[in-house]
Amino acid sequence: MTQKFNVIGSRAPRLDAPDKATGRACYVDDIEFPHLLEGAILQSPHAHARILSIDTSAAEALPGVAAVITHRDVPDVRYGVSPARYDETIFAIDKVRYVGDEVAAVAAEDLDTAMAALELIKVEYEVLPHVLTVDEALAEGAPVIHDAFPGNICAEVHQEFGDVAAGFAESDIIRTDVFVNKRQDGAFIEPHRCVAVYDNFGQLTLTSSTQVPHYVQRTVAMVTGIDVGKVRVKKPYVGGGFGPKAEATPCDIISAFLAIKTGRPVRVAYSREQVFLHCRARHQFKHVMKTGFKKDGTIMALDHQCWLEGGAYSSFGIATVYYAGSLLAAPYKLPNMKYDGWRVYTNKPACGAQRGHGGVAARACFEQQLDLIAKQLDMDPIELRLKNIMTAGDVSCNDLAMSSLGMKECIEAVRDGSTWRDKRGRLPKGKGIGMASGFFVSGAGYPIYRSETYHCTVTIKVQEDGGTVKVLTGAAEIGQGSDTAMAMIAAEAIGIPLDRVRLVSGDTDYGVDLGAYSSRTTLMTGHATKEAGEAVKDRVLTALAEELGIERDRLDMANGLVEISGDPVDFSELRTKYIKEHRGWSDHPAGDQITFTEAARIAYLKYGTVVGTGKYKPPVLGGKFKGAAVGTSPAYGCSAQVAEVTVDLETGQVTVDSITDAHDCGKAVNLTSVEAQMEGSVSMGLGEAMFEEVKFDDQGRVLNASLGEYHIPTVLDMPQMSCIVVESGEPNGPFGAKEVGEGAIMPTIPAILNAVHDATGVTITELPITPERVLKALKEKEQEKD
Amino acid sequence: MLLPRFEYHQPASLDEAVEVLGQYAGEAAVLAGGTDLLVNMKHQAMAPSHLVSLAGVEGLDQASADGGRVTVGPLMSAAVLAQSEFIAANAGALALGAAVLGSPQVRTRATVGGNVCNARPAADMSVPLLALGARAVLTGPDGQRQVDLEEFFVGPGQTVRAPGELLSALEMDAPAPGTGWGYQKLGLRKALEISLVNVAAALSLEDDGKTIKAARVALGAVAPTPILAPGAAEVLVGQAAGGDVFKAAGQKAAADAKPIDDHRGSAWYRREMVAVLTARALNQAWARAQGQ
Repeated sequence: MTQKFNVIGSRAPRLDAPDKATGRACYVDDIEFPHLLEGAILQSPHAHARILSIDTSAAEALPGVAAVITHRDVPDVRYGVSPARYDETIFAIDKVRYVGDEVAAVAAEDLDTAMAALELIKVEYEVLPHVLTVDEALAEGAPVIHDAFPGNICAEVHQEFGDVAAGFAESDIIRTDVFVNKRQDGAFIEPHRCVAVYDNFGQLTLTSSTQVPHYVQRTVAMVTGIDVGKVRVKKPYVGGGFGPKAEATPCDIISAFLAIKTGRPVRVAYSREQVFLHCRARHQFKHVMKTGFKKDGTIMALDHQCWLEGGAYSSFGIATVYYAGSLLAAPYKLPNMKYDGWRVYTNKPACGAQRGHGGVAARACFEQQLDLIAKQLDMDPIELRLKNIMTAGDVSCNDLAMSSLGMKECIEAVRDGSTWRDKRGRLPKGKGIGMASGFFVSGAGYPIYRSETYHCTVTIKVQEDGGTVKVLTGAAEIGQGSDTAMAMIAAEAIGIPLDRVRLVSGDTDYGVDLGAYSSRTTLMTGHATKEAGEAVKDRVLTALAEELGIERDRLDMANGLVEISGDPVDFSELRTKYIKEHRGWSDHPAGDQITFTEAARIAYLKYGTVVGTGKYKPPVLGGKFKGAAVGTSPAYGCSAQVAEVTVDLETGQVTVDSITDAHDCGKAVNLTSVEAQMEGSVSMGLGEAMFEEVKFDDQGRVLNASLGEYHIPTVLDMPQMSCIVVESGEPNGPFGAKEVGEGAIMPTIPAILNAVHDATGVTITELPITPERVLKALKEKEQEKD
Repeated sequence: MLLPRFEYHQPASLDEAVEVLGQYAGEAAVLAGGTDLLVNMKHQAMAPSHLVSLAGVEGLDQASADGGRVTVGPLMSAAVLAQSEFIAANAGALALGAAVLGSPQVRTRATVGGNVCNARPAADMSVPLLALGARAVLTGPDGQRQVDLEEFFVGPGQTVRAPGELLSALEMDAPAPGTGWGYQKLGLRKALEISLVNVAAALSLEDDGKTIKAARVALGAVAPTPILAPGAAEVLVGQAAGGDVFKAAGQKAAADAKPIDDHRGSAWYRREMVAVLTARALNQAWARAQGQ
């Protein structure tokens, strides 16, 4: 990768930084809609109950109420994320399945009135027995949550690659370890909200805080029955998503129905408590991993079982249960792998996708086991990993192809960056150092619904009277920096400075884009943007070549200036013409090169408006087995982290002092953004490792549905970070780029667990690593000694 | 998440405040920093029809010392208390607790009077005040009365303050020479944390600089209210200060604690932590008592 870049790889300031720093950035609630009604949702107070009757008459009679709707007022359409498991209706019909299930909704002149109206809706319930855990749900004779799924199994996966029995037969050591994480919340700053407008042309426009305008558009069209061409979804600035905003929400669908019914704009917005009730965040996973190793540390076979506590509906869960297995097939050479996974329905809010989808707890379990094996073999854990890692060109047992993989570089970078060799095994009691690796897809290989659709289309239009271009993309900037990355890719592809690029995004009117999930945008939308930029450049230079009467291939563009190879060309006529067109203007082009502005003007005068388009869908990817679509990706990112911790041996309190973090993102489009994703990932991983757990009482009610009681890390809890960006040059990525958004979270939890083990000798097998859990483990270890 | 409707009163003096409060006794809540009250009202946990703001009452946000008595104004914010040299010298445990309450934003708003009147078992200012031997001065329609803080707290969110009374001051004896304070808070995070256990200690040394003349240990989050650990104080007085006696005091404090299991932590762990944190708080107090 010796290509020289002018824009890519820089630390260009984010396009949205001035708006966000000055408070001018508009989120859903900042946008004013004339004659807006406020919507509110009546949610079930029971974990599991039959609905006997709903009486909305008193609510309808309340002055200021514009509409009250229940399942009786909307089509009986099932929806969800995976078409194979459409198990949701927007309002409960026969029964409610968790505390928070939607029963009715109101639109009123103001929120006070809407909330008052909710209290006037009378619902008669017959309370049913409920199940809150995997064990309860799988018990014989357990209450059934969905009639179509007796036994409460939402999805199960059974896969074997290679010959696991033979792998174990060749193993010298076989270990079995168990690991449990906890249900998480996305804890993004902006709760879900949507304003729906149904206009006189029969067009429905949603302004939603979403990661996926495209899927919201399709789901809302399907559920409301409105022609998809008349549904437009726009996403203004979004205050974070992390996965739970990667599907159409009740805010989207209910605001749509209320707007259709009232003919007025309607806002439906979640409170923080409702974010917890909607959930769609990280599942609770229980992993059992039996792994065989040779004496020299070679990994021979993995027999892996996993149970996911899924909540009352499927959401992303089918993909989650597949990811929990498939993502372990790399980055280590694992010739034989068997996986059995079950996603189980419970009477709790539905879990879905969250950063590192399905793979985070599995990775924690496996990387912790690697350290325990290393200890058993008396090997340095880093040596064990280096011995087993894949390199570019390797293909996993489940057909994941490593087109680039800087795993070795990442591991060596954190080993050297943390001065591992001086510390491992040499720190005083209570201090520890641990490492782990990680691995993730760079975009899901297939859309959520079966389709040959492009995953994204991008249009770049050259402004007719100036030297700027406008990029139109449906890609969803949700804070991760995709707007800046796409603008940089466009600038690089066309050969112009970044300030010549304007960009609009996050609107289904601008093109197809599957959205911000599965760490796909840089690679996929990046490809489409690059293609569109190259088309623009070609069109402009073709016009210029015609004008100058020279061959097209003598022309190129960089930094907004035309480069002409071969003999000098006299372009004074062209320049004079441009200047005459702009008599009285003070910014005439000068210098001995034709500017992009002049060339773009020539192109417009010759052809009319110049537009370049780009598109992307992944090539056909490997794997013919059932479930092969989950885990296959055009590229894979990888990472390694070293955590250093201090454990208070009297209280069990763990402090993460530092994390040395290396991530292979192929090529950093924006170095600052890559580091920010790495730091953000560590923050989220640290939270899951140390603090986070959504807790329920025995009636299925969330106990800590606030950011006061649900603990995410504060800035004071962040360790000292040292970020090392590894660039392996991804052949399938635009300018060599691949993911950083989710893969970067993978090593954090196991690196901390392994450091705690190094500090104390105890193995924590259940998250979060609370002081109480650590102290208990320390005491148990003491007793074992006695 | 909207505030329920209420009538807002802003009296200009203590007398007027007591009058307004008496008028709506039972239906009125006192608004100081609002960091608990407004949150509870938004969650519909409370719906007082009248709010009596103390923002217009002068003189409630000062601390002073007079004739062996230290007075702390109930409207002093945690941020002010944490930074006050006067408080550090005369009621140091309070400064230590105030410094770790909530977050900088919360500390700017939250008042010591509110913290005491809310009577949460883990309150970061109440537990230190208990170790300081503070008294609540209550002003009502029938005049003033003083209540020892250990009598003041009745249960979670409950105190002996009558609906028509106002906490008009917190008072305590001025510290004897050779007194030091410690405060230990254990939570999951480094900020915005309700303690799993918190312990405050006050320790006074004899002129010899070694023998413990007086000691008070207060515990948070291990009973329905902040409590004193009399057993701990008992083993300390008359002994030479030091690690062993502090450890013994920790064991006694653990025996005095009455923790329960809840979703934040188990009774077992809380009791263990009372012992550890008590010893640490005493060590901290000892270092300060020796002028370190």
